Amino acid sequence: MTVLEVSNLTKRFDGVAAVEDISFSLTEHTATALIGPNGSGKTTTMSMLAGLLRPTSGKVRFEGTGGDPRATIGFLPQYPSFFPWMTAIEYLEMAAGLSGMPQRDLRAECEKTLGFVGLASSVRKRIGGFSGGMKQRLGLAQAIIHGPSLLLLDEPVSALDPAGRREVMDMLKELGETTTILYSTHILNDAEEMTDQLLFLRKGKLIEHGALEDVRRKYGGNGFRIRFTDEGSALRFAEGCPWTAQREDSDVRIPAEAASMEAILQFAAGHAGGIRSIGKDTVRLEEIFLKVVGQP
Amino acid sequence: MRQFWIFARKEWKEQLRGFKIIWVPLVFIFFGALEPLTYHFMPQILDSVGNLPEGAEFQLPDMTGTDVIMSLTGQYQMIGTLVLVLAFMATMSGERKSGTGTLLYVRPISYASYFSSKWFTAAILGIVSVWLGYGMSMTYIVQLYDVYPGAGELIKFLLSYGVWVLFVITLAVAASAVLPTGGAAGAALGVLFIGQIVDGMIGEYWTWTPWRLPEYSLLYLNAGPESGEFWGALAVTVLLIVLLAVIGTAMAGRNSSRAKV
Repeated sequence: MTVLEVSNLTKRFDGVAAVEDISFSLTEHTATALIGPNGSGKTTTMSMLAGLLRPTSGKVRFEGTGGDPRATIGFLPQYPSFFPWMTAIEYLEMAAGLSGMPQRDLRAECEKTLGFVGLASSVRKRIGGFSGGMKQRLGLAQAIIHGPSLLLLDEPVSALDPAGRREVMDMLKELGETTTILYSTHILNDAEEMTDQLLFLRKGKLIEHGALEDVRRKYGGNGFRIRFTDEGSALRFAEGCPWTAQREDSDVRIPAEAASMEAILQFAAGHAGGIRSIGKDTVRLEEIFLKVVGQP
Repeated sequence: MRQFWIFARKEWKEQLRGFKIIWVPLVFIFFGALEPLTYHFMPQILDSVGNLPEGAEFQLPDMTGTDVIMSLTGQYQMIGTLVLVLAFMATMSGERKSGTGTLLYVRPISYASYFSSKWFTAAILGIVSVWLGYGMSMTYIVQLYDVYPGAGELIKFLLSYGVWVLFVITLAVAASAVLPTGGAAGAALGVLFIGQIVDGMIGEYWTWTPWRLPEYSLLYLNAGPESGEFWGALAVTVLLIVLLAVIGTAMAGRNSSRAKV
């Protein structure tokens, strides 16, 4: 089921297009990663979806909401700003109330959510004393407190240290089971981990999109990669093997349609000199990113 | 309505924890106390300052309590206006600039409750502060002066002057909805002070304006204002307050896209 449909969305600031003619849709309970270099229009796109910015042209359509679409959206900006004089629980209760959650059990619900994002020990502390990571967690808490069906997260993990990133990614995965998530990121390892759909933005245009696997295949993934300890061994192997093999430094790549894993393993058994590893050649998202973004 | 109270509670806490609830009344109470004391002890003050030639004598006017209240009102018209505008000029523009507003605007809020809650809490703080100032002044006046206004006259004065204070606050809050903080302060103070100057020049012909209201209010301390003019000015002021509130609400919504993301 489609949750959100974006068609020909454009935003111009003083005539300069920040986002130009992008169209995509989000399916229920999927995670979509919005990827692009700085200044490619990720935040502008997010702001329009969240209802903060009015598009210059194009449409954003939310499925199944008769009323104010903001009621069913949770939004986390890249640098969420809070009232520093409030405590975490006060803030969350205010946010939940403004989103129309019933007063009954509100406090318990808010405490539960603060526990979920890892702020259980700071429930009654002033936000002014929070670290960047804690603010990010509170930001996530305010985005999910009202049980939105669509989560818009702008760089949800960029401000976190590796351990915090791990934790938040795990939370997002858990949320992803019941929520549709659209998040922007430039930490591609994370995107690789939790994404059903990729959207590549560059200079405000959607230049590539599709399922992670499809994009991978398109950009030369899916074959095999044999790593060697040195270039000499790689060269010998590449020239000796019966398939069209490509050598990249001390790696040899063999396209999927050229050989099977069994065949490669059989051949390698007799030519084992210098082999470090044999495996599926999954193109890392980072390589795809550089290729896509580097396209003319 | 629930949103209004949630916002109002937030504003209230902000005033409390930002100490606005202390310093705004303090300013008015300070001037309220100073005015009667200064006039009463003027001879002694002049004496102790000293730089007067031997034998110099001043004929100081005989001040009544009513005169002191009028003089204090003059102070409030300048310093009080300044304080009120400074206290509330950033109430919305600040939330746009810091980005704290962003997380409010992405929720299904009504901008009417957003605006009115700020307006309501600012009005209570502002009006009560002004009244406390006059209250402080009266406690000294009663002790130091022989002639002073009665309770009935004073209450009529405080109520009608309160409408002027409400006008000042509404203008500051609405300006904050429309403009960035600096511009809001400039616009609000500009309108208020230029209005006062214009009123000083042609006020006698231009009788139905908010700027006449303080003067009409003061007349309640004596014979009472000419009723047609007073009610006219009051009606125009209330009308302007409503108009500013409508504009402020609409602009708060429009300007939400200017909030820092």
